[in-house]
This record gives sequence, structure tokens and C-alpha cells, in this order.
Amino acid sequence: MSTPLILGIETSCDETAVGIVHGRKLLANVISSSVEEHARFGGVVPEIASRAHLEAMQPVISQALKEAKVKLEDIDAIGVTAGPGLIGALLVGTSAASGLALGLDKPLYGVNHLSSHLAVDALDESHKLGPVIGLLVSGGHSSIIQVNDLAQSVHVLGSTIDDAAGEAFDKIARLLRLDFPGGPAIDRLAKEGDLSAIDFPRGLSDTDYDFSFSGLKTAVARYLQKTPDAKRADIAASFQEAVVDVLLKKSLSACASTGIDTLLIAGGVAANSRLRELAAQRCEQAGVLLRTPPPALCTDNGAMVAAMTSLAVSAGVKPSHIGLEALSTVALSQPVWA
Amino acid sequence: MTTILAIDTSTDRTSVGIVQDGELIIELHHDDPLGHGAVLPGLVKDALARENKIDHVAIGMGPGPFTGLRVGIAFGQSFAAARNIPWIGVDSLAALAEEHNDAEFIVAIDGRRREFFASHYVGGKILAPARVMQRESLAELSIPVYYGNPNPRAIAELSLRQASVLEPIYIRKPDAYPAPKDVKFRPWLQTDLVNIFAIEKDVFGKEAWTMAQLKEEYAGKERQYLVAEINGEVIGYAGVVKMGEVTDILTLTVKPEFRRRGIAREFLKRLIDWSRNQKVEAVMLEMRKGNIEAEPLYLANGFRHISERRNYYAQGVDAIIMRKELI
Repeated sequence: MSTPLILGIETSCDETAVGIVHGRKLLANVISSSVEEHARFGGVVPEIASRAHLEAMQPVISQALKEAKVKLEDIDAIGVTAGPGLIGALLVGTSAASGLALGLDKPLYGVNHLSSHLAVDALDESHKLGPVIGLLVSGGHSSIIQVNDLAQSVHVLGSTIDDAAGEAFDKIARLLRLDFPGGPAIDRLAKEGDLSAIDFPRGLSDTDYDFSFSGLKTAVARYLQKTPDAKRADIAASFQEAVVDVLLKKSLSACASTGIDTLLIAGGVAANSRLRELAAQRCEQAGVLLRTPPPALCTDNGAMVAAMTSLAVSAGVKPSHIGLEALSTVALSQPVWA
Repeated sequence: MTTILAIDTSTDRTSVGIVQDGELIIELHHDDPLGHGAVLPGLVKDALARENKIDHVAIGMGPGPFTGLRVGIAFGQSFAAARNIPWIGVDSLAALAEEHNDAEFIVAIDGRRREFFASHYVGGKILAPARVMQRESLAELSIPVYYGNPNPRAIAELSLRQASVLEPIYIRKPDAYPAPKDVKFRPWLQTDLVNIFAIEKDVFGKEAWTMAQLKEEYAGKERQYLVAEINGEVIGYAGVVKMGEVTDILTLTVKPEFRRRGIAREFLKRLIDWSRNQKVEAVMLEMRKGNIEAEPLYLANGFRHISERRNYYAQGVDAIIMRKELI
């Protein structure tokens, strides 16, 4: 196939998103979010998300085609997030994608949401596609991954054993009475605080690449109980520092032990400003090349699905069968559905 | 010649058919309450092998269990967009009604959770928009009640006769929705006790708290009681007490006519917030076993079953103990 034109659909959580790429060139990335409706509940409500997906799906597809200046019949393959995610939400995406694929008589690729987060890196065409250590940090996942070839060979080195990094941010934000989603709220508040004010624990610092954030969460809760008058900005900054510190230490240690000299940080938490700042400092010290996608491509989006699909198509991966099953949990080792 | 691809996923059945000038040339279905997503594309693919040139897509828009329903709609709309042909939405209950000609009857689709979505037909005309009915009340009716699966021929035919249904027919609201703006929440006052007592008697009958018990609660320490009011009228109340390392929700009651509006959810949220401020480990509650109105709310808010108490409310009425961890 000449350079493939790919349309990717993402509906795993609360964003209805469609991206269109031509090979590794991003043509359109349209997102409709129901986050404001969920903010009132302090978390994503599956039924509300699913209703919003169906409502937004056709308009978002049309808008993406318009921005990319292409027609549906020009599309060479359809990609869709098939998991992990909320089943009811995923099903809206996989059903819409199979409708498109059958209607157009084009191949359908069910792709892994987690792999897709890493795939956005390919959309910077100046990047060489070689082995990288991936630090994937989002609301549902935190892992360190050795990526040899994203479409075919990924090896998870370590993961969180309890809360994901983004989840820890949300929980601490609730303790601090901050808005949902908690990540951006803590990031903002932390800017006014002293990151060395409180020495919160770094979980599992003696193991290789696994994380634990539940001890940190308890430590923050206890600290708040004991010192109710503590400056909240200091707590936010010190908590954030504890998370970011442990994430980077382990990622860079993975780079050192595998001899891979590129670190790719992806997922929603990769938009965190302190993580980006400290990663830049430490990677420079370690002589590691740092890649962080633009913040807009770190949170859930359709471009990442199109990018992942494009990598799979280019690698000659077989398309998924048409009734592919949406899965709420799936390992990174399965980048594309059979 | 008009060729219609008809899809319905409003019941456990995933149904696909192609209708050509009123004739059903192929009909495929599969029965699986959770299978719509995995099954529908394959059925459509097989149907298209018989006839690939489609003029429009007719989609059953429900009512029906939401997740399956959305599979058919999302698929059908996208297929139509890909082929650059129109899609037309059809009331799935109306398709069911096509098969019956009694003077008066009801068609019903299982909405799960012991509820049915039902439409009432008299003289071939629908009486009122579809609504939610309990299994028990349907069973008591003296007119025929028909259940079944909307067939693709009827879906296709209605798509030619009736205006397109553009939105999914959900009827039931999502389990979570914000409390209406006109409801005011505030701590209770002694003057509320009379109104609360009246609601207690209406809702709980013989098991209602007595006025003496209410007064005792009012005088009690380490408690938080709230009322909800609309235009000054008390329409619900809820209370929680701190007991050592946990809090215990003592009551959470909303007048029946004000239920399913998010008022109980808002009460629960406020009682949980209060509990958090008490620095306790967990919130507990006792729920009447089989209280299908309340249970989803508690589960959705992180409460888990921990044990049962036999005959807690009355002889034969057991309680479920639920607990939500706060730390």
C-alpha cells in the first residue's frame, strides 16, 4: 500500500475523538469531551459517557474529515480503540468503526488504547522509529515499557501494583478539595507550593520497575489529618514531586539497564508540567534523549488511534476480524486485535 | 426498487434483514444479551453477501437496554455515512406492535432491572409515549401484553411510513444525574420534625420511626441530619451518626413522587462528605434486602456488601449491611 490514509476512533472513556493521519502525518484531530458533565460527580459516569459518545460520534467524524480535507471513500483503513476502557463506551466506538469499515469495504483495526498513547510519538515525522523506553502514565495505567516495535514487539518492564499515577492525582485532589480531574488542578496549585516542604514516601523504591502509590495516598491523608492547617499548595507540590521523582528514577534506570537511550513519556499524566520539567533535567544529566508529545496529544484523542493503526498497517499486521470484541482490560502485549 | 438494510438491537436479539420492495430477502439474528457488539457486524456482512446495494438503513432506536441499543445505532449511522445513504430511525416498540391487531394491547421490551418499556395501543393507535412499567403491574393488566423481538421487515416498513426517530429512545435517565437546581439542601430544624414524621408514615407505614424517636435523634450528638426542600416543602431527609471509627447512615428517604431526580444521590454525597470530615475509616449503612431502587445508588457510590442481618426490619425482611471505605 502506498502511504495509507487512516481514520481512528477513540471512545474508551469520556472523550469522543476522531483523528485522521496520512502515514505519519497528522491531518485532523477532533475531540468532543463530556468531562464537564462528569465533573459534577467527581468521576466519569459510564452511562453519561456512552450517551455522549453516540451523540457526538457522527458530528466528530464529519468534522475530522472536513479538517483533513478528505472524503470517507478516500480512507484506506479504519482504526478503533477496542480496549482497555469502559465497555459501554468502547462499544460505541467499535460499532461505529465496523459500520464504517463494512460500508466502505476497508480493513478494520482494533487497537490497544495504551499502545496508541505511545504511538503519537510517530506523528512527529522527524523522530526515528527505533527502540524506546516508554513511560506510560494516565488515569488508568502506569507502566514502564520496552518498545522495540510498537505494532509487534513491546515488553512491559513494570507497572503500578495499586493505583495508577493519574488515579493518585484524582484521589489527592479530592482530599485537597480540588476540582475533577485532579491532575491539572494539582499541577496548578503545586506551582504556588514548596515541593520540598514535606518528604512524602516514594513507594517500592527498592524494586526494579513496579510502582505503588497507595502508600503515598495514605501518607498524604494522614498528614492532612494531623496538620489540618498545612498549606495546601505545599502538600500538592510535595505529593506531585514524590510521584514524578519515582516515575523518572525508574524510567531512567530502565534506560540504563537496557542500553536504550530514548525515553518517551506518554499518557494523560505526561501533560503534567513538573513531570516534563524534571524529565528534561534528568534526561539531560543522564544523556538520554527525551520525547514528550505535545500536551494535546497526551490526553485521550483520535490521532493516537490513527497513528497506532498506521504503524500496524505499515508493519503489515493483519486487520482485525469484523466483529472484534471490546475488552475492558487488556495487556500492552496485545497492540492489535486478531 | 428500494432496498433497505434493517437493524434492531433493542432486545437480547441482534436482528438484521434486507427488505426489497416489501419482501424480506434475508433475515439473520442472534440471541445474546451481551453479544450485540461482537455479532452485529458479522450478521450485516453475511446479509450484504446476498445483496450489497442498499438504498437506506432502517434502525430500531429502542427503547431497550442502553448498551446493546447503542451498538445498532452507532453501527447503522456509520454504515449509512460510509455508503452516503440516509438512515431512518424507527420506534422498536412500534415495530413490535405491527404484528398485532387486537383492539387494545400493550407491547413491551425488557429493560432489565425488573422494568419493562411499554407502549399502549388502542384501535391501532399509540395512546401515549412509551413508558417504564414494572413486571408486576404488567402482569395485573387485563388486556394482552406482547413481548418479543422487533422483526426487520417491520422496522423496514415503518421506515418508509413514519417520520425518522432521530434520537435513541432511552426513557430511563442515566443512574447518575445532578440534583435539580430548585432543590435546597440544609440541616434539619426542630420545626421539620412534623413534616418528616408525615413522610415516614407514608413511606414506611408500621415500620416508621415514631415522633419520640425523631425527637431523640434530633437531640442526639455527633449526627448530621439534612432535609431537601422544594419551594419550602420538605420532600426528603437523610441522617448519619458517628460511631467510633465509622459513621452509620440512619435514614435516607425521598418522597416517592420526587424520586429518580438525583436527590438521594445528593444526600448520599453530603453524608459521605460529612463522614470524611469526621476522619472516620468508613461509612456504613443497612439496606432492606431487595431494595432495587436504592442498591444501584449505593453500589455506584462505592458501597460494598459486607454481611446480612436476618429479620432486621421485620419478620422475613432482612437487611444488607454495606460499607464504603474512606481511607
